[in-house]
This record gives sequence, structure tokens and C-alpha cells, in this order.
Amino acid sequence: MLNQYIPVLFMIVAAAGTATGMIILTTLLGPKKEFSDKMEPFECGVSPVSDPASRFSLSFYVIAMLFIVFDIEAVFLFPWAVIYTKLGVFGLVEMMVFVLVLVVGLAYVWKKGALEWE
Amino acid sequence: MQLLIFYVFGFIAIFAAVSMIVVKQPVMSALFLIVNMLCLAGLYALLDAHLIAALQVIVYAGAIMVLVLFVIMLLNLREKKGLITRHKVAMQGIGVVIVAFVFVLIAASMDFVSFSQAGAVSAEFGTVAGVAKTLFTDFILPFEIASVLLLVAIIGAVILSKSRT
Amino acid sequence: METVPLNFYLILSGVLFAIGVVGVVSRRNVIVIYMSIELMFNAVNLTLVAFSRFLNDMTGHVFVFMVIAVAAAEAAVGLAIIIAVFRNKVTVDVDEVNILKG
Repeated sequence: MLNQYIPVLFMIVAAAGTATGMIILTTLLGPKKEFSDKMEPFECGVSPVSDPASRFSLSFYVIAMLFIVFDIEAVFLFPWAVIYTKLGVFGLVEMMVFVLVLVVGLAYVWKKGALEWE
Repeated sequence: MQLLIFYVFGFIAIFAAVSMIVVKQPVMSALFLIVNMLCLAGLYALLDAHLIAALQVIVYAGAIMVLVLFVIMLLNLREKKGLITRHKVAMQGIGVVIVAFVFVLIAASMDFVSFSQAGAVSAEFGTVAGVAKTLFTDFILPFEIASVLLLVAIIGAVILSKSRT
Repeated sequence: METVPLNFYLILSGVLFAIGVVGVVSRRNVIVIYMSIELMFNAVNLTLVAFSRFLNDMTGHVFVFMVIAVAAAEAAVGLAIIIAVFRNKVTVDVDEVNILKG
């Protein structure tokens, strides 16, 4: 069974190799000219007006949080879809109850206006 | 071969976990926790839990840790100087050794002769279809209750983050 | 191709759980405490999966499935609580969040 993971291993090696290779190659090949203009965030553009590490809006967080919850819903749907034909009507009803409860949550979020972008 | 894979993943997992509680910056902690979770995903694959290994990567290392990193960026914390001194790291080390000793003692004292060697498993073990069959036939009630839990999580998080005080 | 005995998994799981416990009691940053709790979740999941494999029973996998769902719900609500506390107190240091102390 473990042999099935050999492509995953190749994938990891390829990804890690690409990332480290890029870093090594740029440090070896790239020209190193350090002067004040070069070190600006935008080399030949306008100077940044604020600290880039400032806090950002809470609206992003609400969206991310809702994503997590509905991600879990998708995770439950995935194995259900694999054996859907075996479960038949029973499986359909049980998943409909599950999804309906979460649709109630979605309706609540919508009505509450949490998805509104302020 | 399996033993070698276990040792590699196990030691990286422990190293990442120790680094997680020792490093100062929360972002580094989160990244070490992701490393730890990926190693555990490898161990799950070693244990023929294919669906769980995939879920570990997708949900835990993918979604949940992204949310944690998100919150760290949202709060944009500047760690106070000297929150962890060398002395405190030593104390953490002693704590880990003491607590781990208890758990390892429990684990080592158990005698699992009857199933200490993993036998052969059916082709369906740990696959998506195998877990799904157990989940959707024997565990319907927990499955439906999980939907209520997620509903409560949605409502709770929206109320907590929308409150205008 | 020798297999890994069950005790090895249990010991690894115990060590990871211990690191999580120490992380919870020794750190003051609430986000690091939260991540230590996640680490303990993971240690328990490893035990469940290992027992599942050695008992040749997939119930443990379903349980881990549920634990992951609970962890996601906990992430959403727990981090929302952290943000709510931060908005009121402008800190994530658990020693400074002591308003309930008598």
C-alpha cells in the first residue's frame, strides 16, 4: 500500500528542490548591488506611505472563518459522494438533513450581514 | 524500511513540536506546527489511514493553520522582549521530560502482545470508501450532530466577530 | 520489511501530548496556547489511528474524522474569542486577561 505514495514523495522532492534551487541559484548568479534606491520596496515607484505590516480588516477574518466551517462540510460530502450509489435514498436523506442544517447557518450569516463587505 | 520511515517522521515531529513551544515569534510557532502536522500525516499513511492522512493535510495543515496564521497577521503582534528567557526554556525542557515520562511509562507498561504486530488488513482499510461506509451507516447520529456543531460554530463566530461594543 | 510495533506510536503520541501540555502551561501568548492544544489533538489522533490499525477496525478513523470537524469548529470560535478579547484589552497575554479574578 505504501508504494502508492511514491508519486507523493517525488512531488515533495520536486517542490523542495525547486524552492531551494531557486534560492541557491539567485544567490549564486544574481548581481549584488546594494544601494539605497535598490532597497526600497518599490524600486522606481512611489515611496510606501504606511507600514506594510499594519493590521488588516476584520472582514477578512469572518470570510476565512466561514470558509473553514463550509470546508468541513465539503470534507463530509466527499466520502459520501464516493459511496453514494451504495447508500441510495437513505444516504440522500441523511445528507440532505446535514446540508439543510448548514443552510440554516448560511441563511443566518446572510441575514446578519456578515458577508457584507464594509 | 517502515521503521526507518517511522523514525524520520517521528523525530521531525518531536523536533517541530519542541521548536513550536520554544520559539518566540507566533508565526514561527505556527509554521513549526504545520511541519509537525505534515509529519503526522506521513505516519497516518504508514498506518494505512489514507483518508485521514489526506484530511490531515487538507483540513489541519491547510485550512485551520491558515486561519491561525491569519489571526496572527490580523493582530500583528509584536512579541514583548524577554518573554522567554533561557532559564524558562530550561524549565520547559524539564517540564516536557517529566510529563513525557508519565505518558511513556503508561505506554510502555501496557502489554499489547496480542496485537503488537500489525496484521494484514483488507484492501478497503482506511480508504475513502471504507471510512465512508462506517461513517454513513454505523455513525449517522454523530454525523448529524456534527452538522449542529458546525451551525453553532457559525453562529458563535459571527456573533463574536460582529459585536459592536 | 519489519513493521513498527504499537508501543512506538503510543510513546511518540505521549511525547507529543506532553510537549503540548508544557506549551499550554508555560507560554503566555494565547495563540501559542491554542496551537499547543491543537498539538495535543494531533497526539490523540495518532493514538486513535494507531489503535485502529492494530485492532483492524475503522471506527477509530471515523472518530478522528469527528475530532477534525470539532477542531475546525473550535478554530473558528476560539480564534473569534481571541480576536474579541484582543479588541477589548489589546493584548493576547493570558496573564493580563484576569478580569474574572476575584
